[in-house]
Amino acid sequence: MKRSLVRLAAVLATAAIAVPLAACSSGGDTSSSAKQTVTIWGSYGNGGNSAQQDALNKTLIPAFEKANPNITVKYVDVAYDSLLQKLTTSAAGGTLPDIVRSDIGWVPQLASLGVLVPISDKMSGFDGLAKATYPGSLATNKYDGKYYGLPLDTNTRVLITDQAALDKAGLTAPPKTFDELKAMADKLKGSGTQVFADSGLGQWNMFPWIWSGGGEVTNASLTKATGYLNGPKSVAAIQMLVDMYQAGEIPNLITGNSGATSTQDGLPKQNYATILDGPWMKSIWKAQYASFTPIWAPVPAGAGGSISVVGGEDIVLTSTSKHQAAAEKFIAFTQSKTFQIDMAKTGQMTVVPAYADAQAQLDPTYAIYAAQLKTAKARLAIPAASKVDGILTDALTPAFEGKVSVKDALTTAAGQIDPLLTAQK
Amino acid sequence: MSSIVSRRAREVQPASRARRRHGWIGLAFIGPGLLLFLVAVVYPIFGAVQMSFFHWQILAGAVSEWIGLDNYVQAVRDPLFWSSLLNSGVYMLLTVPPQIVLGLLVAVLLKRASPTQPIFRALFYLPVVTSWVVVSLLFKYLFADQGLINFTLHDFLHLMSQDVSWLSSRWTAMIAICALGVWKGIGWSMMIFLAALQGVPESLEEAATMDGAGRWRRFRVVTLPAIWPSMVFVIVLLVIGGLNVFTSVVVMTNGGPADATQVVLTYMYQQAFKNLDFGYGSAIAVLLAIIVLILSLIQLRVFRDRSEVAS
Repeated sequence: MKRSLVRLAAVLATAAIAVPLAACSSGGDTSSSAKQTVTIWGSYGNGGNSAQQDALNKTLIPAFEKANPNITVKYVDVAYDSLLQKLTTSAAGGTLPDIVRSDIGWVPQLASLGVLVPISDKMSGFDGLAKATYPGSLATNKYDGKYYGLPLDTNTRVLITDQAALDKAGLTAPPKTFDELKAMADKLKGSGTQVFADSGLGQWNMFPWIWSGGGEVTNASLTKATGYLNGPKSVAAIQMLVDMYQAGEIPNLITGNSGATSTQDGLPKQNYATILDGPWMKSIWKAQYASFTPIWAPVPAGAGGSISVVGGEDIVLTSTSKHQAAAEKFIAFTQSKTFQIDMAKTGQMTVVPAYADAQAQLDPTYAIYAAQLKTAKARLAIPAASKVDGILTDALTPAFEGKVSVKDALTTAAGQIDPLLTAQK
Repeated sequence: MSSIVSRRAREVQPASRARRRHGWIGLAFIGPGLLLFLVAVVYPIFGAVQMSFFHWQILAGAVSEWIGLDNYVQAVRDPLFWSSLLNSGVYMLLTVPPQIVLGLLVAVLLKRASPTQPIFRALFYLPVVTSWVVVSLLFKYLFADQGLINFTLHDFLHLMSQDVSWLSSRWTAMIAICALGVWKGIGWSMMIFLAALQGVPESLEEAATMDGAGRWRRFRVVTLPAIWPSMVFVIVLLVIGGLNVFTSVVVMTNGGPADATQVVLTYMYQQAFKNLDFGYGSAIAVLLAIIVLILSLIQLRVFRDRSEVAS
């Protein structure tokens, strides 16, 4: 009895390994009466943020439904961390919603799976709407020569610092160039404050430095990384960070120490003098460090100028949607000034530069982000984008630790990224 | 369990009609559980095995390409698979023996009835019933650069000349992850051992005492053989559980820095759900299942032989 129990337990526990692969999916709406229901999935409420969901559910959706009496819009909030998984399992089960508010990094991945509609081919008025948005944001919708969505909200990273850190370094203004940043690092030596901190070595973290340093990540047609990612200017930009890291001026948070002080705590506590981060930090600090007054400035400029990386969300239409015309109407509505500015009030930056002035009146910080967005570039818009972050991290970590040269690390990474670029059709 | 039920039925009511009726009742009892087991465990296992032979397209209706053993060949050639397997193995080796030794020690200490005994039992069992995510976050903060462990060892006890950046390199991070595994697991093995210790015949202990056996000898020749079946049960399950470590790694390091603390299940999860390579992820899952199965069979064989020799 006891032995068979042990054996049964062994079999059961063994079986449990495979269970994570058996994620389940949930149902969607398939009714198609005169009154149509358009279902949207998104993660506006992530982190307990009710302001954005309220704006959508209580103001914007009712306004849209009033203008389109035969369409009902149903917004379903999904936690950000589980959204991609829910989307992929729902795609497998054929139960996707009509519209998805997708992270910009997922669009090529979802498009390559064939679950999205190339709206640049069929949506009326697409060209006009697309032209009105930031080019960097629009580019995140492009896959295989077609656009699979429109930008919905955007953000980017700018340099954030504080007065105490500037005082410590004897500066009156935030560092405007790579050279000023290096000078600041020297001044801060031994002060207990490190000049810069970041929490990773992925595209989001490294590309602003490469682009600002005048380097490139791939060729223009997005087919080759070798010769670009490991080009002399890209190498020089990363080398600057590596030098600072090895001099103890950048903490090992950047190489993945999950026990290091985070950037959001380290800046107000004066562990770190500068960080690169998004517009959402303002409300986070307001809640946690009420007396902290951040100073916002453009990314320090190198030989290539001040160029940051685009973040945000796109709005996409699924190919299984039975109400595509109604869904397209709602997608067009999301590009209106009403929608964009109402969401800007809740912290979602507009993707339409023409509304930037109206947005800046809501919060002057937005002006700095809007200016940075004009030149900001998108991460690699390829289905295997998540692999690129892993490749960069694994290649650059030993370079930061001084085990390999930056040139060799980037050459290795570029060699691994090349096949991912050519793998797409 | 069903065999017991039907055996009982045979003993009590030899009439065949009654036996048939009892058979149906037995089936009705195990039915719901069995159904759940088939749907939620057996079916996905076969699904995973099937997926592992394909370049799996997750989309409904999409045609997946049969690629035979390619996913398995990829795994064998993937240095990250091997390093994650090594990490899982190290975790298992570093967590199983302490859980057994400390669990048994606590069980022996808490065996005798005393007013405080229920409190201590509850306290030692508390980590077992708390959420993995919560305690993993707790340990992440404890082992942070500015955490309590560094404060205690460096600033307070001066055992270290400087702070250790625990989670920033492979083996120090594994130590932190293992520490959590041991802390959380002691209560479970303690509970099994406590139950087993209740079943050790007092007459045997007394006889050994009369024969002049000391405390340690009594433990070795009377107690240990008496609880041996439970010991086997605990070892086998802990080894399986150790190789299946997942949540604590995801929360504490997420496999980082630079995949250095990736374990098999986190690597599988990354391949399947982040890179959407379900075929490769499934192949990794199947490989781990095979390894665990072989290890379990070996253990059962070895321990059975030993118990037969002992008796």
